[in-house]
Amino acid sequence: MSQQIPDLPPPPPAARRPVDVPKTHLFAEFKHERPLTTCRIDPTGRYVFAGAEDFGVYRWEIGGTSEAKTVFAGHESWVRSLDFSLDGQWLYTGGYDDHIGVWRTAASGSDVAPERMVKAHKGWVRWVRVSPGGDLLASCGNDNLIRIWRLPDFQLVHELAGHERYPYAADFHPDGRRLASFDLMGVIKEWDLNSGAELRSFRAEFMWGFDQKFRADMGGARDMVFSPNGATLAVAGLTEVTNAFAGVHKPMILLVDWETGEFRQQFKDEKYNGMAWGVRFHPDGFVMGVGAPQGGNQGKVWFFRPGEEAAFHTLQLSHCGRGLDLNPDARLFAVPQFDGLLRVYRMTDEPARV
Amino acid sequence: MRRDIGCAKVDHWLSRRSLLAGAAAGTSLTAGLTPVQAEQLRSGQKRVLQVYLQGGVSQFESWDPKPGTKFGGPFRSIETSVPGVRICELLPHTAQRMHLLSIVRSINLKTNDHGVGRVFMEKGRKNGAFPYIGSVAAKYLAPANPPLPGYLHITTRGLNDNTAAFLGAKYAQLKLPGADAPENLERPKQLTDEGAVRREELRQRLSQRFAGGRGQPAETEAYESSYEMAERLLAQKAMFKAEPSPAELERYGSHPFARNCILARNLLMNGGTCVKVTHHGYDTHAENFNFHLEQLGEFDKTFCMLLDDLHHAGMLDSTLVMIYSEFGRTPKINQRYGRDHWGASVSVAVGGAGIQPGVVVGATNDEGTEVADREVDAGHLFHTYFQAVGIDSSADHEIAGKSIPIGDPVAAPIEEILA
Repeated sequence: MSQQIPDLPPPPPAARRPVDVPKTHLFAEFKHERPLTTCRIDPTGRYVFAGAEDFGVYRWEIGGTSEAKTVFAGHESWVRSLDFSLDGQWLYTGGYDDHIGVWRTAASGSDVAPERMVKAHKGWVRWVRVSPGGDLLASCGNDNLIRIWRLPDFQLVHELAGHERYPYAADFHPDGRRLASFDLMGVIKEWDLNSGAELRSFRAEFMWGFDQKFRADMGGARDMVFSPNGATLAVAGLTEVTNAFAGVHKPMILLVDWETGEFRQQFKDEKYNGMAWGVRFHPDGFVMGVGAPQGGNQGKVWFFRPGEEAAFHTLQLSHCGRGLDLNPDARLFAVPQFDGLLRVYRMTDEPARV
Repeated sequence: MRRDIGCAKVDHWLSRRSLLAGAAAGTSLTAGLTPVQAEQLRSGQKRVLQVYLQGGVSQFESWDPKPGTKFGGPFRSIETSVPGVRICELLPHTAQRMHLLSIVRSINLKTNDHGVGRVFMEKGRKNGAFPYIGSVAAKYLAPANPPLPGYLHITTRGLNDNTAAFLGAKYAQLKLPGADAPENLERPKQLTDEGAVRREELRQRLSQRFAGGRGQPAETEAYESSYEMAERLLAQKAMFKAEPSPAELERYGSHPFARNCILARNLLMNGGTCVKVTHHGYDTHAENFNFHLEQLGEFDKTFCMLLDDLHHAGMLDSTLVMIYSEFGRTPKINQRYGRDHWGASVSVAVGGAGIQPGVVVGATNDEGTEVADREVDAGHLFHTYFQAVGIDSSADHEIAGKSIPIGDPVAAPIEEILA
């Protein structure tokens, strides 16, 4: 079933040709020796960064070689969330060591030290996200708090308390006045950035499960992002938990009508058990999601149009995908994998580079 | 050293009252304790507290952290109250009490199977119909006429293991399904005191006749034991019905494990010999780190409140405390951020009666993939536990004319951890 897509941006400018999704091919591949946890492409499109199951953050030039890897060392735990200043000069990293790292994105040398490490939470920093105006940064912590920091000096602006369980992710509404957050229990909250007040709270209960046998909660957002015009919030995570401790659940990408709070679409791959680890709105009017299976190694990228139940295209990955990011012209996307490969794909019919 | 961090004032009520009473009256330290506690201390009775982390707690995320190494995971290690001993940051309360505990880091169980691992850790042998630690403790540590069944297991679920084996039903575990009072603890309202006595006399006569006529003493003994256990529980029903106070819930927490630990404390303080509390939810094949955050977050403070209460009541010197699982978890972190079953390099923590505190026995290699020093297994642990409470584990059970070694003769106690 197809329906109108009122929230997606207008057709791409003439300067950018639409992508040709079925022609998607591997463009570049970078190798790290440990499993990767996340990735982002910087706003200039020059670099791709990844976190890993070690204490480093790694940078490659998308046009460069796998061997030319720069290590950003300063965290004392894993990093699973990255973001940039609007001009791309600064990289912000959220670490499971309670700290946010501040780094020069284009720092030279093979080993880069942080410009600053900010003690941000009591417990893991699960998420960092820069505001559309570039003046604020939101962080989610295992102290159940969301903190709003003023950039570049990291002055604390608001401490948003209200989630009763770990807030996993957050995103600024494109209007710059509001923030959405999503916690372990599937609770979605909207916050006023002027006052710090909670505006509303509702729950995507189906993105959470209670394992009766082990008496434990399983849920949370693994990625979340607003559509460019702010009409829709997309959340990547899981649903239909049947055995939390064995990872038996289905991946889900939820699309929320942000004004009404209506759950407009619950995208699932019925033949797939596992987790959705990444989601992005593509300016050509479709949504991309990436998943990792419960068993085996068949990671997937789903391409689907809002309102359509099935993906119009699926890309098999060489292993479990753990994130997703688009480059500035939305022709390339990067996926970090469990096998340590960071793969960059191109969604055009141009000749393959790899 | 910050020994009392996390304790409310009530924590010290027992010990302070005891000391003040003793000082004022010039009497023994046992003044101010309940009659049962005072008798326990006077008699030197030993007891056992087992805290079983069901499913296999990760040694990396608990007693043997390897931060910054290939398989170390995201958590850091923290200092403890014992200089030089570091444990995982998920156990901050336990770290402050490390001077009351010791760690064995070099256990190789040579199995990755839940059932085999559980039986090995409980019986000290992988095979054969041998009794569990709790049943052995019930037989040899309980007084002649104990106020409670000798082996009480508080668990919200679990298998109905034959824990007593050849020791007989009298020493089998009695499972308590959480902190709620066992079902049917109340005598029927229409039954008078006199009627209850007459009913019991009739039951005993029937049992004697059945045993004499059919020659099935073991079967009759099982029934007799069930009635005895029920009677003992009935006499203690007030303990089950008492709601924890707000102060207790503030200290221990309000989750089921907290309530179970409050009950465990009450059982030990009222004549329990071996009390086992199971904390479920460590079989983390997926999301190992998120689940250990949750599970050990629940375990850490709650367990420490229980430890404090035993310590401050003067009972820790006579109570063996064990924290253990059926195995550990793999060094390798799988694609679901999980760790799988692993028996090759496992840790346990132990403390209290007969245990030298603040000791670390053995070591794993840098990446935690194998034991590097002083390899032991569950047979050694079994001997160690019983030597610690004064039972010669190299002696024999004498059962119907047969001599059966208490501990596996191929294993021996871990001497360096014994006080």
